[in-house]
Amino acid sequence: METVSKSSRRRARIYSAEARVAYICLIPAFLGLIFLTYVPLLSVLGISLTSWTGLAKPEFIGFDNYVKLFTTDPYIKDSIIATIYFALLSVAGSMIYSLFIAMLLNRKIPARGFFRAVFYVPYVLPAAAIYVGWSWLYEANFGFFNYLLSEIGLSKVLFIADSSYVVPSLSLISVWLAGNLIVIFLAGLQNVPSVYHEAAEMDGANGWQRFLHITLPCMSPIIFYNLLMSLIANLQVVTPALALTNGGPGNSSRFMTYLMYDQAFVNYKLGYACATTFIIFAILAAFTAVLFKTSNRWIFNEGGDDK
Amino acid sequence: MKASKSIGAGLLSVLLVSSVVGCGNNEKNTASSTPSSSAPSSSASSGGEASKTPEKTDTKKEKVKITYSMWGSAEEGNVTQAVADKFNASQDRIEVEVVAIPWESYMTKLNTQATGGQLPDTGMLKEDGVIQWSSEGMLNDVSAMYEGSDSKPLDSLAYKYQGKTLAYAAANEVLLLYYNKDMFDKAGVAYPPSALDKAWTWDEFVATAKKLTVDKKGKHPGEDGFDKDSIVQYGASVENLPWQLETWALSNGGGFYSADGTELRIGEDASVEAIQKVADLYLKDHVAPLSVGQTDDGIQRTIIAGTVAMATNGAWNVGTSLNTAKEEGLNYGVAVLPYMKDKVTLNTGGANVVFSQTKHPAEAMEWLKWYNSEENNWGLISSGIWMPTLEKWYTDESLTRKWVENPNFPPYDEYKSAVVDYARSSAARPAAWFYTNHTTDFNTLLGSVLGDVWTGKTTAKDAIAKNLDALKAAHSGNN
Repeated sequence: METVSKSSRRRARIYSAEARVAYICLIPAFLGLIFLTYVPLLSVLGISLTSWTGLAKPEFIGFDNYVKLFTTDPYIKDSIIATIYFALLSVAGSMIYSLFIAMLLNRKIPARGFFRAVFYVPYVLPAAAIYVGWSWLYEANFGFFNYLLSEIGLSKVLFIADSSYVVPSLSLISVWLAGNLIVIFLAGLQNVPSVYHEAAEMDGANGWQRFLHITLPCMSPIIFYNLLMSLIANLQVVTPALALTNGGPGNSSRFMTYLMYDQAFVNYKLGYACATTFIIFAILAAFTAVLFKTSNRWIFNEGGDDK
Repeated sequence: MKASKSIGAGLLSVLLVSSVVGCGNNEKNTASSTPSSSAPSSSASSGGEASKTPEKTDTKKEKVKITYSMWGSAEEGNVTQAVADKFNASQDRIEVEVVAIPWESYMTKLNTQATGGQLPDTGMLKEDGVIQWSSEGMLNDVSAMYEGSDSKPLDSLAYKYQGKTLAYAAANEVLLLYYNKDMFDKAGVAYPPSALDKAWTWDEFVATAKKLTVDKKGKHPGEDGFDKDSIVQYGASVENLPWQLETWALSNGGGFYSADGTELRIGEDASVEAIQKVADLYLKDHVAPLSVGQTDDGIQRTIIAGTVAMATNGAWNVGTSLNTAKEEGLNYGVAVLPYMKDKVTLNTGGANVVFSQTKHPAEAMEWLKWYNSEENNWGLISSGIWMPTLEKWYTDESLTRKWVENPNFPPYDEYKSAVVDYARSSAARPAAWFYTNHTTDFNTLLGSVLGDVWTGKTTAKDAIAKNLDALKAAHSGNN
């Protein structure tokens, strides 16, 4: 009895010493987290309750900004719809595209290294250059795509100048930019044990069956990771609106982050912009939570269910 | 399951904590901004105190130091500093330091400085910021600046709000019709008029544009076999940025605002019809390329790209882009705008203001007045980017010749008539931001409301009627 309590006391002492070291080592990380993440986050919430414009002193107005956003704001509803529409199209498109390309690149094809580089290059090009290039492809009057269409006798498509085509057109760029997803998928594909494939092949499974019952389940954790990253990145979309469309035509590409930028740094309604920021935060959190909540149903964990 | 639970708990605790701390944190912000706003004043006044101690007397120390901010590159800042140095040498009371800030981040920087109480004493301010800054108490009254002066700025260049003169424009600009002479010669069509009394009606303008619009087979709009989808050259492009659209609403007998800026007139039939006419250049007349207001490079896209024969835009384009294109062989001319019912063009120009945070308003005004005399802005004026603000340059022909007779400009007679005289004529009216608040909000919203009008998905009438309440709210600042 005595020895037990002694040893447990000693263990506790060791633990507490270890814990102390651990806490000390964690201080820098916590400082960063507190001052670079939580304090700004709280400031944003604080400012969102004021009518601050950056000029006069901020005045506390309670939840007026939020009330205005949900009742009379002419942009936010269109903005949320456009953002979610864009994110769903881009996420679905880039997941399918990058998994497909990754599987092609995983085969033993000639010049594989070269093709791997080709599909990754868009991701490392400077954004401004990419969007200028695409703006010339999409241009409504003399753009390259419209030149091709008129050469084959079709009528013009207005692409980013048309409110119904602008989001799909911008999503296409974002799919084309998904080189980072390809790399991660490729790494995952190389970890799918080839013995499974060989065994299934011997049992007479065809390619599609093997993809559905071996590749996909084995890849599900990777797919989950890519899905999450891609969803968050695409819900925060802002560059195409800044570089190509100014949020237009109308509000059709006025993505939430662009709206927030416009409120804060074009119209200088900082309090209002902070309220918008919190709504963006809530939407992102909701999407992420749903994804996590449903993930158990379809993620296949090697080594069983380790909840 | 675990992950989602902990995320939920994390979110909840962040929200709880933030709702408590958020307010307190915010109060701290206000409190801490007070001492920092007094910081520049104490440093400025310490200069004044130093000058009181006699043993330290030194001509430099007696000078009041003021800073002047401007948009532009560091190089442009050096040019202006050289001008300021002349001013500094010309008297022994004021020392001006120039701070150049890039155009893209200019207003953001000033806003940040205003928040921190670190604004310069005086500087330039973007057109649509003047009345807003003034209504927030950030600007000094400068109405006394030109009292007893022999040459005043053009009256259309004063920012006035509720009877007070808030600022004078640093430069003058008007909207013009640019055209490509080679395209006109090739089509055998007479040039647009540079004299106001010969200005084209809208119908004449559209008819001429049709002659200059050609498809792949050389057909013009209205001819048999004309294909609007294979146009290779357009006749005309009317800039549809919201603030420039007001020209056409005014020209059609309507307007965006009442003359004092208090009432909204954009819902009136005449205003709506004018906007529709601009949209119809693309939709019905097939003489204009589609533009949905996504970029602000009208002249580069049209005249300089060589795809459009006529295009409307501001006078600054002569210096910002057309002079380079001219060197590369572009043969362009300037003309007055066509009109619907009344002949109208808009005057504009960024403002020079004195900020209310300054401790030296009198000195700041003295500098501005000296600097605003055009000899000191010669670089910007002779390149064609700015037009002078003082009346004498428009009335005294020898001065006009000094200004316009240089290779950066189109031929003297043409520019004199289509720009210099035009800017002083009864057609020139101040842009809305000279007398109306909240123009940034209003123009952003109007641009978004009209997005589907340019492509013909809706009409100007429906789009504006549907959003009239929101436009009214934006105009009154309740947006």
